[in-house]
Amino acid sequence: MTKAGSISAPEDRRAEAAVIGPCDASRGEGGADTDQCHATMRPASNAKARTGSALQIFASTIWIPQAWLLASAVGNIGAGDAAASVWWYATGVFVLGVLRSVLDAAGARIAFRQARHSLSDLRRDALAALADRSPIDPARPASGLAASTLAEQAEAIVPHVARFQPARLRATIMPLLIFACVFVWSWAAALVLLIAAPLIPIFMALIGWRAKAASKAQLVELGSMNAFLLDRLRGLATIRSLGAVDMTARRLRLDAENLRLRTMAVLRIAFLSSAVLELCSALGVAMVAVYVGFHLLGQLPFGAWETTLSLKEGLFILLLAPAFFEPLRDLSTVWHDRAAGEAAMQAVRDLAQQGTLLPGAQDEDLPFGPAPSSPPGVRIEKLRFRHASNTEPVFDGFDLDVVPGEHVALLGSSGSGKSTLLALLSGFALPESGRILIGGEVMSQRTAAALRRRMAFIGQRPHIFPATLAGNVTLGRPGISRKVVRKALDLVGLGAVAARRGAAPVGEGGAPGEGRRRSARAVLACREARPRGLRSRALSQPPKPG
Amino acid sequence: MTSLRPILVLFLSGNRFMPVAGALLSAATALAGVALLGLSGWFITATAIAGLSVTTALAFDVFAPAAGIRFLALVRTAARYGERLTTHDATLGVLAELREGLFRGWARPDMAAGLIKRPARLLFRLTLDIDALDSLYLRVLVPLFGALVVALASGTVLGLIEPLFGTAIVFLLVLAGAGIPTVAAIAAKRPAERRAHGLEILRSHIIDLVAGHTELIMAGQLAARQQDAATVDRYLAESDDALNRIETKTGIAFGIVGTLLLSATVVAMTLLAETGSIDAPVAALGILVAFAALEPFTPLRRGALELGRTLLAARRIAPRLEVLPPESAALGPPAGLSVCLAHATVRHAGASAPTLRDVSLMIRDGQRVALVGPSGAGKSTLLALIAGEIAAEHGMVERRVATLLTQRTELFQDCLRDNLRLADPKADDSRLLAALEAAGLREDVEALPEKLDTRLGEGGFGLSGGQARRLALARLFLRAGARSPVPARRAAMAARRADRGARRADGA
Repeated sequence: MTKAGSISAPEDRRAEAAVIGPCDASRGEGGADTDQCHATMRPASNAKARTGSALQIFASTIWIPQAWLLASAVGNIGAGDAAASVWWYATGVFVLGVLRSVLDAAGARIAFRQARHSLSDLRRDALAALADRSPIDPARPASGLAASTLAEQAEAIVPHVARFQPARLRATIMPLLIFACVFVWSWAAALVLLIAAPLIPIFMALIGWRAKAASKAQLVELGSMNAFLLDRLRGLATIRSLGAVDMTARRLRLDAENLRLRTMAVLRIAFLSSAVLELCSALGVAMVAVYVGFHLLGQLPFGAWETTLSLKEGLFILLLAPAFFEPLRDLSTVWHDRAAGEAAMQAVRDLAQQGTLLPGAQDEDLPFGPAPSSPPGVRIEKLRFRHASNTEPVFDGFDLDVVPGEHVALLGSSGSGKSTLLALLSGFALPESGRILIGGEVMSQRTAAALRRRMAFIGQRPHIFPATLAGNVTLGRPGISRKVVRKALDLVGLGAVAARRGAAPVGEGGAPGEGRRRSARAVLACREARPRGLRSRALSQPPKPG
Repeated sequence: MTSLRPILVLFLSGNRFMPVAGALLSAATALAGVALLGLSGWFITATAIAGLSVTTALAFDVFAPAAGIRFLALVRTAARYGERLTTHDATLGVLAELREGLFRGWARPDMAAGLIKRPARLLFRLTLDIDALDSLYLRVLVPLFGALVVALASGTVLGLIEPLFGTAIVFLLVLAGAGIPTVAAIAAKRPAERRAHGLEILRSHIIDLVAGHTELIMAGQLAARQQDAATVDRYLAESDDALNRIETKTGIAFGIVGTLLLSATVVAMTLLAETGSIDAPVAALGILVAFAALEPFTPLRRGALELGRTLLAARRIAPRLEVLPPESAALGPPAGLSVCLAHATVRHAGASAPTLRDVSLMIRDGQRVALVGPSGAGKSTLLALIAGEIAAEHGMVERRVATLLTQRTELFQDCLRDNLRLADPKADDSRLLAALEAAGLREDVEALPEKLDTRLGEGGFGLSGGQARRLALARLFLRAGARSPVPARRAAMAARRADRGARRADGA
């Protein structure tokens, strides 16, 4: 690491530039102490979730009296004296049916709202954690990963939280309840259900395995099919210039067809296991129906507690039998939500984990102060810094003194710590020991945010926001006039481009290569311009563009 | 709705058997379910009445219906399994076709230019759109067909009992079964679109927050951007809530119609039995068929909610699937000229002023031209115009069919061999190795354990920067007889970059 005079421009294309503006005397002390609420669990949330589940289970149980009314109505037809009472039965079935739908809907709404709140909480916490992380934290996630996790993948959390818990509870309670109701009338029919009952854990294992295999298959399918298409579209310019469009299209088709065959091989087995569940439940209902029929004919005289079942009781048992298996089938469908939901929840929680904190993150909404009076000096004393506690120090006993107004270029081979030094000067991390003084003020947790308010910074890979060129220059900072923005853009030679583009957005690699760096420099110029108009001093020795 | 046509054509053109078989099996599954309940109800009631006296009990043929019940249970399971397999197979097949069609659509010059400008957002949107499309077949068309078949069959069974009642039931089933999801789909269109839109904005905000972290820290805008993201999430939550309200209301509506149907059937069957026109077992059959008949319509609920999103996807994807005249439709220049521009003006989409204004240029065959100008002067735009990737607003453009060799050296997630063969599909290994030799990469490749079969990651991941450039250079060597607006200059530049990269990679 060498300290060079202001004339020598760095050769290395990867050099960064940091310009430290003059200290401002009246820094807002401490700043507003924002209460970063990192709530992960709402206290009332569990109670609400339980209410939702309870309502949905209660709605399911209404089927039992409804089935009883239906069976009674048919029983009366069989007995030949139905006309008088049928209106009562029909009304009862209708009222109970409406009640069932409404209660189920109310429970589902509560469960949904609760789940949606937890998604918002998870997103907010993850974003806060990402924002509070130091930009030089090596474990910081990539933007693409963070975006796809927090945007689309996190969407899987809502169906999981909203549906899985109620479905599991229902699958635990409803079969027991139905079994008890059937058992009251016929131990033999209950026995048929009971034979299926020990199969339930096996079903569960099968379902779990199925869901795993199916979601894996889906992951393979979506992942590789989309990845291949996106990879080729990304390199479309190259493919076009090589005249390989047709060849790539055919290849794309072939790969997709192959993938379809592979996925179907997995799905054939995966669906088979759920077919076993379907088969058991269909056969369970069929066996109950056949048993009840034979019993009513007198060919299977055992099974009821008293003499024989009546038509009403037989039908009641038949109507309840599907309800014994239905919650299990429902659970198997939400099991898929569960795999995706839990994976999403884990991914979001991973993002929300705290890494190296950005010093002064708590003061991030500190306003920009008034005009600085004179340029500051920079002193670095016995600096020691490591990226992680188990790595070699980047700096150990490093000293540097920059007098006010001095221009400095940092030279050094790649990895020697140029970027790290600029990051430390910007307060993106604090030294392990030693001090950094800017305008006599020590960079610390308490002062970092305020000191940063007087700096401008261009990184190696400036991010261009999807906004207008002017929007990219102001970055939403208040009180920057259009005139200042225009001057800044003119200064970096983008004035004509900005005038031509007008309100057309840039961003997402919109201004490639040199243009990108230029717009970033305009940001710098404009930062420097605040609040006293443009100061070209900072830009008299701009870093050599890449 | 017209935008759905190309997508529907995809399902019905290629392999017609699979999609149709899937729908038929879906109908069979639903029918077997209704029949299973109906037959069971009839059986139990009939046996109960027959069992009242010993003679009738002995005369009753118990085995046929019992076998029928077991048979239906098996049919239902088998049909369901077959339905799942065929519908998934059909969907995967169509998605394969769709991806090829989309790639060809995007590869058209005018489209390609737009794609290159804003890749990440467009590609992200494209992925979601493709995923949204499969719900059209799986969640709308298949269940709708199955449910309608069941409605007709149930109506027929009830119609055999009492024609008027059967007709009324079919009417009610179709009206409610198709009407409720239709109303839901119309109501859900806006929130579904808002949701798709909100998700894109949220994504973009998160990218800005993470990729533009340093810029936002220095501009003191971190808290503001978090607030913005939270606002977008609230917007998303509102759309989610609206969709959930619609879903819930649809559920209530189905529940009420279903229970109304059931109660009405109980009354009708009782009255018919009282008049003696039907017996109790048939009444039980009617009631249980009515009980099961609305069930196949309920899966349409989800399809209806997703329909808005699906239509949005279809609207965005359909234009890429249109068959357009081949790109050689450009006017050819007079003999001896490669390019002839007269007073050409080009404006980028959304820009307030043109990038090129009144440009005239003539390039003779074989002439080499270098474009020199400051950044933003329009060099790339002029090249794009010559290559036909952008259209002129005014003026005349006459050009040979040309391709643009860009500065980018994109490598693909594929093995080295196929990355090279993009330039020359017929090249054998010896030719590939010769090209690698010429680019100075042969030794490196031969040192790899899998040599030419080595797979590259995204953007050529697995190679150093210098190696990646040399590989791209080798590919350029393979492209014999490449004609492009400025091949020599670009090739020379690529070579220089490759050498520089190589020197750095070698630590020189």
